[in-house]
Amino acid sequence: MNPARDEILQALRNNRPTPENHPLPPVRTLGDLDASRERFIASLKILGGDVLEPVEGETLDQAIARRHPDAKVICSNVPEARGTLPVEKVKTPQDAATIDVTVVRAPFGIAEMGSIFLSESQLPINSFAHLGQHIVVLLSPDSITANMHTAYQERPEFRSANYGVLMSGPSATADIQGVLIRGAQGVRSLSVWFA
Amino acid sequence: MKIGLFIPCYIDAFYPEAGIATLELLEKLGQDVEYPLDQTCCGQPMGNSGCNSDAAAAEALFVRNFAKYDKIVMPSGSCTHHVRDNFDAIPQTDEVRHVRENTYELVEFLHDILKVDAFPWAEFNHTVGLHNSCGTLRALRTASMSELGEKPFSKPMDLLSKVRGIRFVTPKRPDECCGFGGTFSVTEEAVSAKMGVDKVRDHYQAGADYIVSADSSCMMHQQGCAERAGVPIRFIHIAQILNGAAQ
Amino acid sequence: MSNKPVNHARAAEHFLEDAPHLQFHDERLWDMRQKRDAQMHILPEWQELREEASRIKEHTLSRLPEYLEQFEANAKKNGIHVHWARDGAEHNRIVGEILKAHNARNLIKSKSMVTEECDMRPYLAKQGVSVTETDLGERIQQLDDQLPSHIVVPAVHKLTSDVAKIFAKDYHTDPNIRDPHLLAEAQRQAARPVILHADAGMTGGNFVVAETGTFVVCTNEGNADLSATVPNLHIATIGIERLVPRMADLGVFIRLLSRSALGSPITQYTTHFRGPQKGGEMHVVLVDNGRSARLGMEDFWTSLKCIRCGACMNTCPVYRRSGGLSYGAVYSGPIGAIIDPTFNERKYSTLPYASTLNGSCTNVCPVKINIHEQLYKWRRVLVQHHEMPFVKREIMHMAGKLMGQPKLYRAAIKATEVSLGTMPRFVLYNWLNPWGKHRENPHPVKQTFNDWYRRNREKARPAAAPETKK
Ligand code: SF4
Repeated sequence: MNPARDEILQALRNNRPTPENHPLPPVRTLGDLDASRERFIASLKILGGDVLEPVEGETLDQAIARRHPDAKVICSNVPEARGTLPVEKVKTPQDAATIDVTVVRAPFGIAEMGSIFLSESQLPINSFAHLGQHIVVLLSPDSITANMHTAYQERPEFRSANYGVLMSGPSATADIQGVLIRGAQGVRSLSVWFA
Repeated sequence: MKIGLFIPCYIDAFYPEAGIATLELLEKLGQDVEYPLDQTCCGQPMGNSGCNSDAAAAEALFVRNFAKYDKIVMPSGSCTHHVRDNFDAIPQTDEVRHVRENTYELVEFLHDILKVDAFPWAEFNHTVGLHNSCGTLRALRTASMSELGEKPFSKPMDLLSKVRGIRFVTPKRPDECCGFGGTFSVTEEAVSAKMGVDKVRDHYQAGADYIVSADSSCMMHQQGCAERAGVPIRFIHIAQILNGAAQ
Repeated sequence: MSNKPVNHARAAEHFLEDAPHLQFHDERLWDMRQKRDAQMHILPEWQELREEASRIKEHTLSRLPEYLEQFEANAKKNGIHVHWARDGAEHNRIVGEILKAHNARNLIKSKSMVTEECDMRPYLAKQGVSVTETDLGERIQQLDDQLPSHIVVPAVHKLTSDVAKIFAKDYHTDPNIRDPHLLAEAQRQAARPVILHADAGMTGGNFVVAETGTFVVCTNEGNADLSATVPNLHIATIGIERLVPRMADLGVFIRLLSRSALGSPITQYTTHFRGPQKGGEMHVVLVDNGRSARLGMEDFWTSLKCIRCGACMNTCPVYRRSGGLSYGAVYSGPIGAIIDPTFNERKYSTLPYASTLNGSCTNVCPVKINIHEQLYKWRRVLVQHHEMPFVKREIMHMAGKLMGQPKLYRAAIKATEVSLGTMPRFVLYNWLNPWGKHRENPHPVKQTFNDWYRRNREKARPAAAPETKK
């Protein structure tokens, strides 16, 4: 018995407008359905994210070192990069705080927003995506969905993950006199590596 | 078609030339217009302040004055908005409904009903900024509003562009309310006056010599703000320009 | 809590006296409105999205009990503890108990308007819990002991110099810093250790999905994610109106929210919580606090569609020139003016009058709430409930009477006396004095239109009706 619950639900039942007058509209897919890598990149850049383009013959580790020359602790959760800190060392949420660059793979991206999705399936620990200073995200160009409608309708991850974040560029704020600052509380930069 | 002319109280008392221009213009366009002498007010001030029951006497008188006309025309967007959308302090009889459904703001009447395509007598050699009152913009919808991103249209502009010699400028925030707002102008006088002065400065900085509007109430407020702040800009009702104001 | 009506006009006058703050405030919010417009122009389907959003919300509200039950069942299945709070006090007690059970003394939280409604921070402080806001703007407001002045940008009424002063006190930074980057960095550095040592994290919830038991939190700083993923205890406080039926509905709302709010396509972080993280615990507190009663208000229930984007505030010419704090309430601006009176009719009786009824708010609202029409209707309700000041009420009463009697009216306004001095004294005092404070009065004229007509037209034709004859 939960009197608060019962009282709230009863009040809502008494007070609601006639349900028959407000049918649920069918799910719709509106807007631009272009799921191209080009659209994804353009959107990503609007939100302050960037693409990490390999210069000829470069490995991912080399590209990361080039992009983040001062990074000491690089921790990769993908086989494509080795990093400097074995990911097994990150056991508690706080452990991620010392990392300069985290490397992860996103199961999909959204062209409309330049967003990438991450969940506990891609992260050793959820804070991994946020406590590091920078993040490098691997994304297959084949797993870009067009827009928010297609993403929510098609991607099963939204229904299976306990924690699922769409990151669209790095952390940002404009709370002080309207000045846009990238790298507020979460990652200072977000780079996408297509692979 | 017999037209009843309604002249809002503030035009009657402070801007009779706008009323005269409205009447003369309709006459020039061959209309049969009458002005019932016993008119006062449409009830808007009372309605807008929430004192709806106090609007009943004005609304009843309005209906007594105008029920016999085919169309009721008034040089005021906000009064038209009241009659059309909020005029419910009195029982909604057939007469009341007839009045509400056949009330037009002057610009809509010229544009939509008479479909006037020329004002051969009109010439206005000035640079004007158009002020659409919020009533005309967002209630009567005589012009497109920036909030909706719709295809641009403007009935007052369509009419004004048929006037010889007239030039237009657009202020930076064309759709921003000027801050009159009826009783708001006194209960929130500081904000109201600030909005007013921002509005007239915006037009002045865009290069306007005149602000033209279909609503004298907005202009009464704007003029007061402009004069106090020393912004050298003049005001004219759209009816006066369309009627061939000689200024 | 005092019941005295908020004096919005007075507070606004005060706000207007500070030109630099005023100018920044107006321009910053106007810029957000313009960026919103730019996003709207990119999407030809904008109006369809608004219509969909409105219909989904209206549908959900009409079946709210069922969707809440569905959410609860699914959330529980996923291991979320679901609590129900009738009001702020109950909410605070529930949160306090959860924290106590975990012996949690340090709570980090992201922005949540519901916790402001509940006045939670002082309550927890008394329990010995230290609460740290992690959203930069909200943190600034917390340190300055002020309510958020805007629901999306809580410190938008402040300049860099104000923030520098506040941070100097608490973070020991240089009070003369004028570079916002340095101040934001100071916040990052100050917040990190607090985040790392927090015992519990709290977030709000922008959307709740009934069919999956998910709740969604949108931020730009990522501070909600830090609050929820670093400590192992996550409490989310969510208003019961936040539901949507289906996962797919989020497509509509996420596309509208940040575009309407800031003019950016999406918030940098859009996070879906469906269950506790490994080794963690998750609680959702569903808060009513007046919402179920509001649902029964025929003219006002659609205000529950609100997704708290703040677009109505950004576009409001009155809000931009009076500042959020002038509303003296948790919710300010147009949306505040239509929901605050449901919390306290007398105290917030002035807010529906802090508007020109221009209607811009209604037309930017992504869920199509008829805000300005509700403002109009609130005025009627307030007058019926005797919440209008006596003098104003009397003036309207007199004016209404006069307007119904043409002969008296004509006598009062006779051409020769149109000079303003003939009005009754108290009308003059209450109306024309404020008018003239920052404005010139209209100029007297030689004859009214009515006189002109009698002279120039009446002679030419017979009187229209016998009763118009003198
Ligand atoms: S009322 Fe509409 S515009 Fe205002 S905050 Fe709510 S959703 Fe946004």
